[in-house]
Amino acid sequence: MKFDMDYIAHHNELTETNPYFKLFLTIILLIVTLALDNLYFDVLIFVVMSIVILAIARISIWSYLKFLTIPVAFLVITCLFLMFFFGKGEVIFEIGFFGIVVTADSFHYAVYTFFRVMGCFPCLGFLALTTPIAKILHCLATLKVPKIMIEIGLLMYNAIFIFLNEIDTMQKAQDTRLGYHSYWSSFKSLGALTSTIFLRSLDKSETLQFALDSRGYTGELPLYEPKREE
Amino acid sequence: MHIMEGYLPLTWCIIWFVVAFIVVAFGLYQIKKIVDETPESKALLAVSGAFMFVLSSLKLPSVTGSCSHPCGNGLGAALFGPAVTAVLATIVLLFQAILLAHGGLTTLGANIVSMGIVGPLAAWLIYKGLTKANVSSTIAIFFAAFLGDLLTYVATSFQLAFAFPAPTFGTALTNFLVIFAVTQVPLAVGEGILTVIIWDRLKAYKPKLLDKLNALAPNEA
Repeated sequence: MKFDMDYIAHHNELTETNPYFKLFLTIILLIVTLALDNLYFDVLIFVVMSIVILAIARISIWSYLKFLTIPVAFLVITCLFLMFFFGKGEVIFEIGFFGIVVTADSFHYAVYTFFRVMGCFPCLGFLALTTPIAKILHCLATLKVPKIMIEIGLLMYNAIFIFLNEIDTMQKAQDTRLGYHSYWSSFKSLGALTSTIFLRSLDKSETLQFALDSRGYTGELPLYEPKREE
Repeated sequence: MHIMEGYLPLTWCIIWFVVAFIVVAFGLYQIKKIVDETPESKALLAVSGAFMFVLSSLKLPSVTGSCSHPCGNGLGAALFGPAVTAVLATIVLLFQAILLAHGGLTTLGANIVSMGIVGPLAAWLIYKGLTKANVSSTIAIFFAAFLGDLLTYVATSFQLAFAFPAPTFGTALTNFLVIFAVTQVPLAVGEGILTVIIWDRLKAYKPKLLDKLNALAPNEA
């Protein structure tokens, strides 16, 4: 499934750890990493956070690699782009055609950006892979983020998974009827799919509203926090 | 493309957060007003937000062979207006960062500005302008989605060029714009066509809702 990150966040050794601690640790580490902008520190953070994720939270190395692959692929492309098309000053490497060169300046940019992102990503990963969204939202609520935003967020989180199931079913149905056979038909199928989802979502929102109302919803979703099992 | 975690230097992260904060605060104020008037619209907003998020997990067939996803900003802006869309986009971007490792926390501000504010605002202005000029809403929604998408990338190019002004701001901007133009114009066309298909269905099945949201052209209402 696409959402293994959500599953992992609910099933690892650090799920029950105080979410405030995780949230603040992540934010502080991110800010420090950005502020220092130091290559050694970036590498250090990368190593330390990876160890925390793999050894302490006990997240399997494959899930972690999967989490890193796509961003890193993008990162490599953008950094190559930065390296070849930006900067001025001393030329340190020539490709030999189109006058594309690597300058000391652009090399510096590319390397620093690469390591900065590499340092920041495990920090994000630490939060994303160990903390369920509901807990993060609950944290934000006590930190005075407007209630209405948290509520919409919680209801949204709820609705997302319902939609994903429906989309899965519909897409399989379309696929078995050759809905994604040609370029134009995939457009039509996708249009039909999204508009159906949207129409269904309207019905769902009505049902949701009735369900909430019938349980005495006054604009607040109280959260029950179960005691941690010792 | 979302700007990824750690890509921007700290100063720019903070600047974009401040800009985003102002607009999102205004959007929240608007949402509060809507919800106070009609309490049942909260579920509609939440479900629309979920719809935006789910759209981003669908693959859009693209001319160039690269794969991207529709972002639904144009549709959201045409239905709910830019301020409300900004708030929804904020939550969607936060979820994308945490659930999909798409974008990031430090670059959240910058992403909100480009995808939640500039894009929807442009889409909304274009949509309202065209429908005022008596263009059919189907054509208007195409241009709103198409240009809204493009302007999102123009905004992203500006943000990247501010952060990496090398050798000068102008050349950096041109570089980013060229790259995005090549890769994103086909995607924007794709998003436009998709939005038109959705819009047609909406007009056929839920004309009352569109009317209630004040989203139709005057001659169609």
